[in-house]
Amino acid sequence: MLSVRKSQKEATRQRVLDAARDLFETQGYEETTVREIARRAEVAVGSVFTTFASKGDILSQVMADRLEELYAELDRVAPHLRGNVADRLRSLFAIHFAFETRRTKLFLAHIAAAYDWTLGPSTRPYGKNPRLRQVIKDCLAEGVARGEIGADQDLDLIVDALMGVYAWTYRLAAWEGADAEEMSAVFDRQVGLLAQGFAPRVAR
Amino acid sequence: MKHVSGALKGEFEPTVRVPTRRALAKQQTRAKVLAAARKLFSESGYEGATIRDIAAAAGMSTGAVFANFTDKSDLFREIMFTDMVTLAEAMREAANRGKTVEDALMRAFTVGYSFYKGQLPLARAAFSVSWSPEEGVELRFSAAAKALRELITEQVQLGVERGELSQEAEVKLRGDMLFDAYLANYPEAIFLGWSLEALQARSKDQIRVILAGARRG
Repeated sequence: MLSVRKSQKEATRQRVLDAARDLFETQGYEETTVREIARRAEVAVGSVFTTFASKGDILSQVMADRLEELYAELDRVAPHLRGNVADRLRSLFAIHFAFETRRTKLFLAHIAAAYDWTLGPSTRPYGKNPRLRQVIKDCLAEGVARGEIGADQDLDLIVDALMGVYAWTYRLAAWEGADAEEMSAVFDRQVGLLAQGFAPRVAR
Repeated sequence: MKHVSGALKGEFEPTVRVPTRRALAKQQTRAKVLAAARKLFSESGYEGATIRDIAAAAGMSTGAVFANFTDKSDLFREIMFTDMVTLAEAMREAANRGKTVEDALMRAFTVGYSFYKGQLPLARAAFSVSWSPEEGVELRFSAAAKALRELITEQVQLGVERGELSQEAEVKLRGDMLFDAYLANYPEAIFLGWSLEALQARSKDQIRVILAGARRG
């Protein structure tokens, strides 16, 4: 009996998340009410609130689920990366840009909500995802191993610079309507500038 | 302190006519509302401050507030844009006192972090508004944001002219990266309570990493 109830609860949860994701993307996060989400998911408003604390909580869950998809994509691609360390970094971030621009409006809402005053302290600040940082750091560590990055370089600092620049490149989508390709093009050049700095010094 | 770069003047261009007493009174009311709103937004954040609270703090009716501003978001954006213009000026002034490109950037960033450090709820709301797709495209906002970016780029350009950075420094692109890194540190201040010193130390490292390639011949 318990497992039936549990699976029903899970089905409700999934229906709410699907409905919310679609509404946030089409009509915007601010403009969407929990009532509308419930209607679209064909569940009672009350049962939405038995699973989620708030609309912000629903958005967090939608984004957490999406991140799982992104990780899966990164894990699939990572072993096949070719080229020098700059090219590998470009490929990794190109996957990010392509992924997030499949639902640009949702992603921008997520960034805005990350600064939302009303959300609890458990909300992860934008651009601070530890798993994404690790993927980038692994890529840099391989670069050191292949002698493309100076052994004296502080990799965390480079990760930090990359993540910061990556995060704010989305301003091009928010304010200028740039697509994944345009953002990747700008970011690729910036990776090149950083790479000039972290390349090992040539002995003379 | 009073000069504002041309792109930002827009509707604020002073009129030649001497303002009437009524216009002056209206201006004073606006200023009073803005001061009260700034105080409440800095203390309680955007969501935490209501128009009713703001009116009470300014010592007037909510009706008087609505006579001057269409809604809370209008009021908030007015404060945000004024801040960005003031800040751009203060950051540029500080940067121009720098001896080297690194010194200049550090001075500019320090002014920025110090400005918002005492009013983090306001900073948090400002970031939220600037990322919201409906608000983000506003013209006034992009002009103000552009002025901030440009002042950083100017310093990179000066670094090239002084021979600290190579001619192929890709000034604009590198300036954007420096500004992005500066902005990306705000979550540490907002969510993790980083001190000004911690933000400065992080910025110093980031400036070094981002400029490293341009220092090589």
